[in-house]
Amino acid sequence: VKPPRFEYLRPETLGEAVSLLAARPDAKPLAGGQSLIPAMNFRLAAPAALVDLARLEELRGVRAQGDGLRIGALTTHRELEHNPLIAGHAPLLAQAVPHIAHPQIRSRGTLGGSLAHADPAAELPAVMLALGALLELTGPSGTRQVAADDFFLGLFLTALAPGELITAVTLPGRPPRSGDGFQEFARRHGDYALAGVTLRLALDGAGAVHTVRIALFGVGDGPVRAGQAEQALRGRAPDPAARAEAAAIAAEADCDPPSDIHASAAYRRQLVRVLTRRALEAALTRAESSGG
Amino acid sequence: MNVEGSHRFAAAPPAVWALLMDPAVLAKAMPGTRRLERVAPERYEGVMAVGIGPITAAEFDLVITLSELVPPRSYTMQIDGKGSFGFTRGTAQVELAAEGDVTVMRYQAELQVGGKIAALGQRLLDSVSKLLIRQGLEALSRELERKLAEGERPA
Repeated sequence: VKPPRFEYLRPETLGEAVSLLAARPDAKPLAGGQSLIPAMNFRLAAPAALVDLARLEELRGVRAQGDGLRIGALTTHRELEHNPLIAGHAPLLAQAVPHIAHPQIRSRGTLGGSLAHADPAAELPAVMLALGALLELTGPSGTRQVAADDFFLGLFLTALAPGELITAVTLPGRPPRSGDGFQEFARRHGDYALAGVTLRLALDGAGAVHTVRIALFGVGDGPVRAGQAEQALRGRAPDPAARAEAAAIAAEADCDPPSDIHASAAYRRQLVRVLTRRALEAALTRAESSGG
Repeated sequence: MNVEGSHRFAAAPPAVWALLMDPAVLAKAMPGTRRLERVAPERYEGVMAVGIGPITAAEFDLVITLSELVPPRSYTMQIDGKGSFGFTRGTAQVELAAEGDVTVMRYQAELQVGGKIAALGQRLLDSVSKLLIRQGLEALSRELERKLAEGERPA
């Protein structure tokens, strides 16, 4: 289980990396390598060259920006899990990360790598949708911002143009009276989830749902916004009946889950229903106790 | 693995049938087709290469045998694909029905996938096959529209 021969390139700056990737369409950028390297070792992927991003300081660091956060694309899962700024501004991220694979993988895998890979069962793409993140992409023609909602286009398919890299993710501030929920179900811890739900909910002065963003994973070609379930909740008191109704809509109307040897589509729908209800309940409890 | 679904073509069944029986059209429509030839009236052979996301496209040999042809209503396809990543074998039933001005195609396939790709990519097979079928049918629809537009032009 060794990769086929490839050329290894290690640029020192972002500019150098971008021009290398532009000049070499047969090259792939290497971040944490926790999906790409196994695919190469199994000889499913055979890029002629790898452009190692490890030395690009521009892609590192977590800092406050306005009332939100800017997170460098090379931030590892482990840093996301333990960073105090993230714990304060985006606890949903810290909550989601322990579900990703295993500690060894989390020590090397990166935020940008997971988003660019866009596995349909991955946690972080869905978390980006729930938080309304903006992705900063840098390529030969400069830097642009793309909303997470517009970034994930399909199965392992993103809005990244050839030669473009994710350089950072910006998260908006945490709204007052808001809470997050994260639930997934996997047969063994660390496996890809059979289904998962992640959401952020904010209440208005009267205790009704002001804003809500629900994202599902493992049940489509990529992360899936549960738009109809959100619609059913907006402006309503999130009582148990409303939560159950929204969960049913998420399961029946908002997704078209696959069937495979691990679980049937019907089983995945049932998971979405139960997990959405639980995640809404957890988010509501947090929102009610968050004050503001 | 079971794959089933339907697709609407903006033409009458005979036009859709002609499209589906034309190897040149199929070669254009099926994602990743490098070559597709009709080697016998009811037998096609070709080479396809399909890569998804991080998976580098690998070539595989494809043999399709048609049977139970009832023009322009239904047929059965025997599919046999072999490559370095594994194999796929199975049958697909295709039915065409007129609904007003359009043709509704219903398909149902029972596919077996084995080898490396099945061992490593099992959880993605359903999504990948749905994606490839959707891409193929959309390309066929575009091809049909193009042919119809050409046909309407005065000779």
